[in-house]
Amino acid sequence: MLKGELHIEAQQLHVDVENILKGMGMRISDADSYLTELIDNSIKTGLQLIQTKACFAIFENPQFDLTKKTITIENKIFKTGAVVCSMLKRSEAIALFIATIGPQIENLSKKEMAAGNGLEGLVFDIIGSELAENLSELVHLHITQLANKKGLNVSNRFSPGYCNWPVSDQHNLFDLLNEMDCSVNLSPSSLMTPVKSVSGIIGIGKNLRRVAYKCNICNDKHCIMRRQNS
Amino acid sequence: MDSTELLRKLSECVEMGKVNKDAPFPPAMKGMDGADELTKQALEMGIKPIEILNDALISAMEKVGEKFSQKKIFVPQMLISAKAMNASMEHLKPFFQSGEVKRKGKFIIGTVAGDLHDIGKNLVAMIVEGAGWEVIDLGVDVKTPKFLQAIADHPDAIVGLSALLTTTMQSMKNTVSEIHAQYPNIKLIVGGAPVTDAFSKEIGANAYAHDPQGAVSYLNAQVA
Repeated sequence: MLKGELHIEAQQLHVDVENILKGMGMRISDADSYLTELIDNSIKTGLQLIQTKACFAIFENPQFDLTKKTITIENKIFKTGAVVCSMLKRSEAIALFIATIGPQIENLSKKEMAAGNGLEGLVFDIIGSELAENLSELVHLHITQLANKKGLNVSNRFSPGYCNWPVSDQHNLFDLLNEMDCSVNLSPSSLMTPVKSVSGIIGIGKNLRRVAYKCNICNDKHCIMRRQNS
Repeated sequence: MDSTELLRKLSECVEMGKVNKDAPFPPAMKGMDGADELTKQALEMGIKPIEILNDALISAMEKVGEKFSQKKIFVPQMLISAKAMNASMEHLKPFFQSGEVKRKGKFIIGTVAGDLHDIGKNLVAMIVEGAGWEVIDLGVDVKTPKFLQAIADHPDAIVGLSALLTTTMQSMKNTVSEIHAQYPNIKLIVGGAPVTDAFSKEIGANAYAHDPQGAVSYLNAQVA
């Protein structure tokens, strides 16, 4: 098993005003200069505050049961559901990861909200989500580089809670990474704190490739990704 | 400036999101008095608090809600208006407490058990409060007994449940079912990113709110 912690500086993360506006259902042409300046300044504040942490481990010889729709890693059975199991079935190894930007932006958002500054609170919240997603993309790229060195490719990344993969499998994922200090806690109901954290699974193998995320791979009619993409 | 003009200006401040004189937004109103100063002036002029509330504040927020529904403005502008409204409401608080001015009703809101997301819930709470309702915010990860206790304390309230995760929609379903088992006549509104109108019907909620204004429209219809 290969494992590691990634030291990613805030400056390596990238989030722009357009992303944040999109998170509020707006285009750049919908926003006035007051809002774009507020977002721009909040991004700068956020990047100064966050403390990223990311850890991963790569496990060889995962076992796939397409009938039961499960993936077994080190005797832990992940009930991923049909979509994730099928997308990863050609994996020769599996990377699990946890990444967080820390609690700072989340706390700032709450503080603004409590002070009655709803807009500022919302902006920080969306910036936090974007940065956490951005951080997990850098983890994904790191895993990709490790795989490429061995002549292997990687799959898309998936997280518990998406594509009908029960969020309760977070406990298995955290158990397999428990020797590492990822600075993320898991509640009994499988929620991560800090909230701006991402955990997930990435397949590694010769016959894998990343593809643009498409909702037609999944039938979860309630998924928020489906709504955003529609 | 007479009372009609003052209320018109106050309404404009709330609609445009001019909180106070120092507020930089909107740029076109820079340096002008905002909702904070104008409400104070209105009270000093002897305008009744109920007139300030109905003729300036709520009417302004209704316009904001209409513009939002028509996609003429977006969440940020709505939040700035809510902030201006709240600046004004601070001056009216003593009149709410004395009973001289009554709110439209009570709204209990919380994010369901197992879900820590509070941003959407907070936005709804702010807009509903700005529309003249008393909001009882139970917070996040709210288990059914806490909702039931709040309903026992405020039996005339309408209840809003929020969920952000597809996985906590089951919690929402359970809570709706348990509340209605004990309080069949309590009105329940559900909302949140993965929630849909079809899901709200499936779980027996009374209404689905796609956005904060949707919640306000439903609430106002109950007291119309």
